[in-house]
Amino acid sequence: MSSTQNGIRKSMKNIQATEAMKQNTLRYLEAQRTKRKHRIFRQKPYAALRYAMAVICVCIFAGAGGYSVYSRPVSYISIDVNPSIELAVNRFDRVVSVTGYNADGQDILQHVPLKNISYLQAIDRLLQDAYYSRFLNRDSQLVVTVVSEHSDAMLEQIQANDSFQALDALTYSSDTACMNEAHQHEMSFGKYRAFLELAQYDADITVEDCHGMSMGEIQNRIKTCQGHNGKNTTGGNPSKGHQNGHSKSHGHH
Amino acid sequence: MKSTEDVNRVMEAYADMVRRICFVHLKNRHDTEDVFQNVYMKYLLYEGAFESIEHEKAWFARVTINACTDWLRALSRRKWVSLDALAEESAELDNPSKEVLETVLKLPEKYRDVIYLFYYEGYTAVEIARILGKKENTVYTWLSRAKEILRERLGGEWL
Repeated sequence: MSSTQNGIRKSMKNIQATEAMKQNTLRYLEAQRTKRKHRIFRQKPYAALRYAMAVICVCIFAGAGGYSVYSRPVSYISIDVNPSIELAVNRFDRVVSVTGYNADGQDILQHVPLKNISYLQAIDRLLQDAYYSRFLNRDSQLVVTVVSEHSDAMLEQIQANDSFQALDALTYSSDTACMNEAHQHEMSFGKYRAFLELAQYDADITVEDCHGMSMGEIQNRIKTCQGHNGKNTTGGNPSKGHQNGHSKSHGHH
Repeated sequence: MKSTEDVNRVMEAYADMVRRICFVHLKNRHDTEDVFQNVYMKYLLYEGAFESIEHEKAWFARVTINACTDWLRALSRRKWVSLDALAEESAELDNPSKEVLETVLKLPEKYRDVIYLFYYEGYTAVEIARILGKKENTVYTWLSRAKEILRERLGGEWL
């Protein structure tokens, strides 16, 4: 070891970290470690909370959006004999709401659950129901009217139902304007369509008159006015359809 | 973040070296303690891994020198130690050693580093160059000039 090295080493040998300095620093480091851990723990719950809130919001919006989509009707089916019933159908072909437009209709809905099943199942269930069948006799006329962008496809499916075919029912399509007018008169749009058709031949007929008439009676009046004596069957003259001036209203068979 | 065990180990291993480097740069115990803590705080938060004990020691030397430089730059303080601090630290030294220490501390800062690292810690010029981030030739030059100053001030035996 050179004298220089020796001299410098000797001069600095007393320059040491004291025990107090070491311990103070170790305490300081531990305090910093704890503080940083706490900071992380404080931050993480916030991050977790934010994440949880985001997930909840997404779930709420997705759920609300999903429910909104599910519960929003895109098609409507009016089933009229004497009881007048309307089914609101969502984009998944599920019945999301039902409305009875006269006392008989409301009574039927009390006995036959039709919601949250497909409209085809709902119609089949209705036609198979003994309580409803009381209204389906030889003098009655079952009329099914559809308001939908896909009314033709829906009516084809409805007509494919065996019970439906056996009842010699009539089918029509209508439009939302006609439906809204009908509801203003507290009448199903299927029956209102029939009223509008009859009104073409009978200027004296009123909505109030039709309120008290069954579909069989209205159809008979129409046929009488048209010069026909017998019942028209499904698949008859297209001119039988709704002709109230609404662009989309037309007969369907 | 380094473990408590690691911190305790490096405290025992390098505390004196860190303390000495601080001493040759800083003028009082208060500054020294602050920089001392800062150096160990940097270690606590250091995420990298050391290849060897030598690497770890060199890291401490470099970080301490940089911390001292930053500290002085931030405070714009004098870059030599006060005699009071010197008296405090060298109370137990004999007169020749005290004279050597005082002379070393009066060297320009860059010379102090190389003198300390070369003579006390036993680093080679190559290693010092790596620690200080300087060219090897620069370290040789600084060592040469520092020795010349010491020789002038302390006498012919400092060759």
